[in-house]
Amino acid sequence: MRLNLPRACRPPNLRSLAASPCARRTYAFQAPGGAVFKVFNSRTKWLQKERAAADPELSRQADYLKDEVAMRVCERLVDVKRHFPRVLDLGANSCNIARALTRENPDPDPSTPVSPPLASKITSLVAAESSASLLYRDADLPFNNAELNLTRQVLTDDETLPFEPASFDMVLSSLSLHWINDLPGVLAQINSVLKPDSPFIGAMLGGDTLFELRTSLQLAEQERRGGISPHVSPLADVRDVGGLLGRAGFQMLTVDVEDIVVDYPDTFALMRDLQAMGEGNAVLGREMGALGRDVLLANEAIYRELHGNEDGSLPATFRIIHMIGWKEGANQPKPLKRGSGQVNLKDILEQK
Amino acid sequence: MQPKARPIQRFAQSVSKCTADAAVYGKCIVADYNSVHKDKCAKEFMKLKNCYLAAAKGGR
Repeated sequence: MRLNLPRACRPPNLRSLAASPCARRTYAFQAPGGAVFKVFNSRTKWLQKERAAADPELSRQADYLKDEVAMRVCERLVDVKRHFPRVLDLGANSCNIARALTRENPDPDPSTPVSPPLASKITSLVAAESSASLLYRDADLPFNNAELNLTRQVLTDDETLPFEPASFDMVLSSLSLHWINDLPGVLAQINSVLKPDSPFIGAMLGGDTLFELRTSLQLAEQERRGGISPHVSPLADVRDVGGLLGRAGFQMLTVDVEDIVVDYPDTFALMRDLQAMGEGNAVLGREMGALGRDVLLANEAIYRELHGNEDGSLPATFRIIHMIGWKEGANQPKPLKRGSGQVNLKDILEQK
Repeated sequence: MQPKARPIQRFAQSVSKCTADAAVYGKCIVADYNSVHKDKCAKEFMKLKNCYLAAAKGGR
């Protein structure tokens, strides 16, 4: 851009630049958008996922959590009576959602007839993930040949969606949003790639996930080394998620929490499984290198004493935040105006 | 051929032989976990570490 100063203010020659009051004009400009607060190192995360996928056997063994959550996310589809031509799975990991969708009889209730796999509600699924090795890990397993038309897309950046606006009929996401730095930005992008009146169904780790490991590592480091450094990520809380979805422009929000507690024989098994899931520590500003043996030894003893079960196993809590939001659409039901209610809720409750 | 055990697995195995000392150390920390400072339970920890070192030596 050219700066057009009025002619009168232009200094007659360069030497008088400092002397002339007009020449001291300055201007400031601001970069668009607020500064993004960086918490996670996305390259470290990518490396961890690639490494985890390099050992398919171990990585498949540690998929129990992701498979379980993917199933629970897909269960929420049973209630939506609709057909979805094009669906995005954002942060697909090893296509756990595709696997859950193609499962036979997803609603195992003896009183209802056998239902077809949920994939029959979907024509094509795009699985997007930044780690290519993890994404293609199970590319030759039978679920790929189901009637679900699955395409895999490797993302160059976790936080930018390379899709056209209003091009998907639904967005799913299971256990990957908790590694996103700019969660409000990504939610807004999800809202923009959705067609009007389409749902976003997601699940992420949040709140008190792994609080046992967090506390016992803090105590161990404090006692052994006299200071602490972050080992478990800061995570979004349930209260934040509602606000974030609302800010991104979603309507008719549903947010709920579910705790999954997994028992491990010792802390080393827990940490090895986390590593095999690709869920290692990727917080910026963490201490580089492995934990020292003294800290590991102390951590094992403290974890067992503070949180251990009576049978000698160690519980680890995974708190899953489920969220559903709908993009605004024309004929969408909306909450009635405040004060327009005709029936007093108190009467109904007292009749009971 | 059995694949070589990772060092962390050998470590875990040796540590699992010291549950008694680990419980003593754990109790020392948990007794008052709001005011943990460096070397608060150094004595208990050294006992635990000695037990682990002995177990690691024996296992080899």
